[in-house]
Amino acid sequence: MLRTYGRFALRRTGQAIVVVLLAYLFTFVVISILPGDPITSTLRNPDNGFTEDDIARIVAYYGLDQPWWVQLGSSLGRFVVGDLGVSLRSNLPVGTLVLDALGSTLSLAAAALLVAIVLAVAIAYGTQFLPPRFGQGVLRSLPSLFLSVPNFVIGLLLIHVFAFGLGLFSMIDTETPWGTFFAAVALGIPVSAQLAEVLIASLDHESRQEYVAVARSRGLGQGALFLRHLVKPSALPTVTVLALIVGELLGGALITEAIFGRVGIGTLVEQAVASQDLPVLQAVVSLAAIVFVVVNLIADLAYPLLDPRVSVGSRGRTVAAPAAEEPAPLLREEVSVV
Amino acid sequence: MTTRFRRLLGVASALTVGAVLLSGCGAGTSAAPAESSTPKPGGDLVFLIDSLGATWIPNNSAISSYQGQIWGNLTDKLVYVDAEGNLSPWIAESWDENADKTEFTLHLKEGVTFSDGTPLDAAAVVANIDIWAKGRPDDGINRIGLFPSANYAGAEAVDATTVKVSFSAPTLSFIPTLAYHGSILISPATLALPAAEQADLTKDIGSGPFVVEKVAEGDSVVLKKRDDYDWGPEAVGHEGAAYLDTITYKQVAEPTLRTASVESGQAQVAYNASPQDLEALKQEGLTVETPRYLGFVNGYALNTTVAPFDDVKVRQAVQHGIDRDEILSTVYTPDWFAAESLFQSTVPEATDHSADFAYDPDKAAALLDEAGWVKGSDGVRTKNGQKLSFTLYPNPYLQASQSVDELVDQQLTSLGFDVNLETYDVPTYGQKVIGNATIPANEITRSFVDVGTVAGVLTSQKKGDEDWFKVGTSDATLNDLSTKIATATDRDARAKVADELQGYVLDQGYFVPLTQIVQRVYVQAPEVSGVSYNGLAYAYYLDTWLNG
Repeated sequence: MLRTYGRFALRRTGQAIVVVLLAYLFTFVVISILPGDPITSTLRNPDNGFTEDDIARIVAYYGLDQPWWVQLGSSLGRFVVGDLGVSLRSNLPVGTLVLDALGSTLSLAAAALLVAIVLAVAIAYGTQFLPPRFGQGVLRSLPSLFLSVPNFVIGLLLIHVFAFGLGLFSMIDTETPWGTFFAAVALGIPVSAQLAEVLIASLDHESRQEYVAVARSRGLGQGALFLRHLVKPSALPTVTVLALIVGELLGGALITEAIFGRVGIGTLVEQAVASQDLPVLQAVVSLAAIVFVVVNLIADLAYPLLDPRVSVGSRGRTVAAPAAEEPAPLLREEVSVV
Repeated sequence: MTTRFRRLLGVASALTVGAVLLSGCGAGTSAAPAESSTPKPGGDLVFLIDSLGATWIPNNSAISSYQGQIWGNLTDKLVYVDAEGNLSPWIAESWDENADKTEFTLHLKEGVTFSDGTPLDAAAVVANIDIWAKGRPDDGINRIGLFPSANYAGAEAVDATTVKVSFSAPTLSFIPTLAYHGSILISPATLALPAAEQADLTKDIGSGPFVVEKVAEGDSVVLKKRDDYDWGPEAVGHEGAAYLDTITYKQVAEPTLRTASVESGQAQVAYNASPQDLEALKQEGLTVETPRYLGFVNGYALNTTVAPFDDVKVRQAVQHGIDRDEILSTVYTPDWFAAESLFQSTVPEATDHSADFAYDPDKAAALLDEAGWVKGSDGVRTKNGQKLSFTLYPNPYLQASQSVDELVDQQLTSLGFDVNLETYDVPTYGQKVIGNATIPANEITRSFVDVGTVAGVLTSQKKGDEDWFKVGTSDATLNDLSTKIATATDRDARAKVADELQGYVLDQGYFVPLTQIVQRVYVQAPEVSGVSYNGLAYAYYLDTWLNG
């Protein structure tokens, strides 16, 4: 068992490295076939009056006049030795830009994840134990509501009410605790919806099981029942969704950061895409791929520990003896890299 | 961010503002009217800006509409230009020029220092002029776009406060160029740094009234007052250091959030609000400033080599077929003005030629009839089986360009044109439209501080000329007029040629003026007093204070 597990872990790590390199290559190809680059689009601003000769000399300095495979070669070469290059847009080292942005995004993502989990668990708990007459139906419809309201609408509403109306935080310094909290709420609400849906479905399933009736008949309180008997079996699909949510957080961070005026990976990507700043995009895409792959790896490795029925056979993870009504946890094949 | 996403944001923002107002949580406007006109030292001004632009390398960045705001308060220039195009002394206390306008001697103010303590002397000025003219392209550092580089022969320090600059041909534009927003004086130590280090704003040393305190890349720049500053431009009329303690330039990409922050008192200035929102903001007691810059008006440069604009009558029909008043009342506010010529009316040499392109749909229709374009049953004119058709490409560098083009499309369609609109983002536009000789109508504007620079855009006489109308050197009159403008040695004589040139270009239908461009819009809290705007429409905060 341990050897199989080790081989499984090794194979998954190998796959992860390939995914990261492919993501790097893919970004390069996509960006290279797009027209323009930040250098020429700045120099071609009609308000500048640079001649084509002027532009050509500057472009040559950045090596942008080289064929794409030469550019890819030097870019890959630098990447492999850990040099992320220099941003074409700002001329600052990409490593510094990414590191500066990363802290803000990580704190936002962590806070948003916390908000999402708290909200999802609260909603799921409510759907199990609130009497139907007192809002259970409303609670059950909350996730679809959360999913259907775009998070920039939530963000703008929060800003107008809490920043401008109540003055709880300032748009000038949005990295304050309150600023981070409201950004996290905006980002966490749609994320909590997915989490809550899966959790509710699993709880519904588990609560119909006989052992729950037995537990209830033995006079177990609601809280204890939820924590001791319902949460753990419902955790498996929830972990799957949690791993998926990392992608959601990275994607949603772009919009949330833009609206809340935070500098993070999202805004870095936005600017880099807008100006086709290849070195920055390469670094961020690789980073996103690494984070995504690592989180999924952790989820994969955690599966056998959460549920002994999950085996680690040669063709990836399979559920050895799925119960007939097991909520399918294998949404994961739909995962695509950001 | 895509335009579509922005539009969605705009709608969503409007909805939420509505919701907030309904729920009674709306912020009270902090509109205390200006109480005193006595300047009050101290205070922190927050300036919300759409973007902090690209790089901070001085030569590569000062061109941007965004960074120009910051450079303007961080650095000085040799010459000041006011909103009417008048030049006045700044770091250069005076200047002499020879009769040929090929040699200029600058006499510098004494005792000026950069914020690192090094003197702003003749050697420093020579280092700056050299890099403006030539750049260091092999190190990734541009020259300055509008500097008269082609004729530049060199600069030398005669003594500590005297600089002599030579050109190989008459260059009347040299002194005005020293007031241009690209011509910022930077410490020679900074200029010697490699590009990657110049890109770090904290290493860029200027001699201005403010110095860099903090930079958060892509987020904000904080400037703080320099206490020993005492060499502001005479024209601004402020002695000594600035009143404000700090200025914070904070990037907020969403325009409604910028203005809402000023309304709620979290910031003092919101840059670039949408023209459509300005009236409502004024109603709430905010100040709206719409300074115009010196330069060309916003308009279409027509390509004389492609159909249907190879016919002067069709070009004139477009000139007379556009209702500029409708553009002003629909897209803009009363702060915008109709074009009167090729040039913004603040340019000293601008003369009123509005009669040459006045809105007259009957005349436009008659011109098209004369040119042989016949209206079909579908309302589109044809000639020899060809439709009277062309494509407009809204200029992504200009605000509201698309709305203007949509309106022009409607107006010309009613005359029998078949107008297509193709909208691109900045990189695609740069690739597909700029420099493309087959584009029929180029929507263009250009800031300049000296009318002499216009020669370089009209024909292809010299290497590097832009040839806006693709006439090459075929139009002898235009060649002659451009040469006279470019080589003039006398400002008054040149002004007469400039008048002739404006009349000729408009008469030939080469250029279709639309509106006088306002590219920099400032929404200000009422407590902000004493802001000055130079000829490039940048806000200068040397004399600014906060009331109340």
